[in-house]
Amino acid sequence: MARKNVLQLFAIALGLGILTACSLISPETSFAATHPQELGAGRPVCSECHSNDVAKGALKPYASFDHTPTFVKDHRFQANQDSNTCASCHAQSFCADCHGGKVPMKPATRFSNRPDRETPHRGDYMTLHRMEGKMDPSSCYACHGRANNDKCTACHR
Amino acid sequence: MKPRTQVVLLATLMSATAWGQEVSLYGTTMAQMWKQETPGFDKSTFTPATQYLGIDATKLGTDNLSLHLFGWGRTDLSDPSTFDGSKSGGYLNYGYLRYRFDQANAEIKAGRFTINQGAGMEQVDGVSARTDLRGGFAVSAFGGKPVYFKTVDPRAQADYEFQRDFIFGTRLSWRMPKIGEFGLSYLQDGTKAAKDLDIPSPVDYTRKQLGADIRIAPTTIFDLRGRTLFDVASHPDTAPGSPERSRIAEHDYTATVKIGSQVAVSANFAERNFFAFFAGTNLPSLFRQDEKDMFRGYGSSITWNTPWNVQVVADFRHMHRETYGDVTRVGGELRWANSEKTYQAGAAGHYVNAANALLVDATAPYRSLKHGEARLWGMATKGKFTASLDGILQRYSEANPYLNGLKNVYEVVGSLGFQATSNVKVSGDVSYGSTPVAKNETRGLLRAEYRFGFAKKGGR
Repeated sequence: MARKNVLQLFAIALGLGILTACSLISPETSFAATHPQELGAGRPVCSECHSNDVAKGALKPYASFDHTPTFVKDHRFQANQDSNTCASCHAQSFCADCHGGKVPMKPATRFSNRPDRETPHRGDYMTLHRMEGKMDPSSCYACHGRANNDKCTACHR
Repeated sequence: MKPRTQVVLLATLMSATAWGQEVSLYGTTMAQMWKQETPGFDKSTFTPATQYLGIDATKLGTDNLSLHLFGWGRTDLSDPSTFDGSKSGGYLNYGYLRYRFDQANAEIKAGRFTINQGAGMEQVDGVSARTDLRGGFAVSAFGGKPVYFKTVDPRAQADYEFQRDFIFGTRLSWRMPKIGEFGLSYLQDGTKAAKDLDIPSPVDYTRKQLGADIRIAPTTIFDLRGRTLFDVASHPDTAPGSPERSRIAEHDYTATVKIGSQVAVSANFAERNFFAFFAGTNLPSLFRQDEKDMFRGYGSSITWNTPWNVQVVADFRHMHRETYGDVTRVGGELRWANSEKTYQAGAAGHYVNAANALLVDATAPYRSLKHGEARLWGMATKGKFTASLDGILQRYSEANPYLNGLKNVYEVVGSLGFQATSNVKVSGDVSYGSTPVAKNETRGLLRAEYRFGFAKKGGR
């Protein structure tokens, strides 16, 4: 009997919790799933069209999403906070081009016909990594610290 | 997850695409070839063939449900090109069902996906959900089985899977229009820490991290973004007399100020304590926690978008590492594109001054981190034809023992492409270079890219 009461109380609490949680959800319409207009080649400057607007959902000026060299370099912050905004133009496969977890070749080789893209490890990076790894191994860690490092163990045992 | 389970899951997901009203399939087929002759080793010819394949199927029964798959397979048609000697391989990068709600930017994902949420960027076989809340708040969470990445020697990771039995994380954020965003996140990877095992392991693959991220963007001319990460796991007590280890894994902050419509100035500061930052690595011999070491870097860049379709960037970065001292990297980049972006070109040069670096290698005390890099590239599109040329030169100090007497290491890649139809493009690349391993190296690559269906995006 006591167990039944506990279960009933738990069910009531769960129901109330769900109702409360639902009432907390924003009533706003979701951000556009895809950009309504086709964008041209190259890195977009969002603020050219969205001059002073604040992006719906992200609640930040569109200028924050201008694809400047700094934005491209620090895009992880953007992906962390506003992945919905990224997804309106980029398919998930665009991220996987470099952040695939495990890839069969370095991105610079896969996209060797696209020198305009910021693909990592151009040229003979095997030689250069001996310097860059000494200067800042934490920059290697993001991609090779927990994934995509089976080649590393050939030397770093 | 067992291979048999993966195959069944993949087949089930792929069959689900039949329900999609909008299905797009895209892929790249690549064939490479190069020969290698290294003193002391047999001559080798490598001809790996690689297939990338992705499927996006939307409107699966309902407008809001979609399926996304992407993976690759590789086989060597002659000598094995991998370190472990295998002649074939493959991987499912992601495969998940996604339900996107019309309200509150809410979504649910189930399957294999990459999570990038505050403290963690992880591949997970599991479930994730997010939604916006009233008052500018938003909440997201995920949980599941972490995707394992084994290294070549499985003995070094004997209890790897046992420790990493479950991963979960959550992030709570608060946004205010024209002020910015503040986020708090937590990640726990594994519930069986090495010190709590029946036979405690010297290597801990588990971790607990707490993150705080910030974005201040009150106007179109100022932007500050960054995060601080804490290691909150309980670690075995250090030996008496050992130095105190910082719990702060990372600070990384960037501020950008736009001056007029053409100039932007950015400044960055980053600090990472290796003991905390490398917690949970599956390659502890390389990302070593046992040495007390720290990286601190700061830098700045100025970008000028000139009225003549030329972008000019000048940058510098000072990097300090406790064990190796200081280096400074300075350089710049030029990019040009015509209005239609059918012609593009770029040039870049960087120099690393290591005059204040400490002893880098006890076995080669004359070794230096000093080097320079120059790059020149161009791209052209004319009708159905494309062409590109990309050259990179790295110049090291003569005394570097890893260069086999070389001072200049370079690579030039030329590519020609033909857009056969609006959905199919073929291209061929030839690269020539000189490296310490191969003084004259020529490689060939054939590539076929195709995309069929209703895809509206892709980011290319």
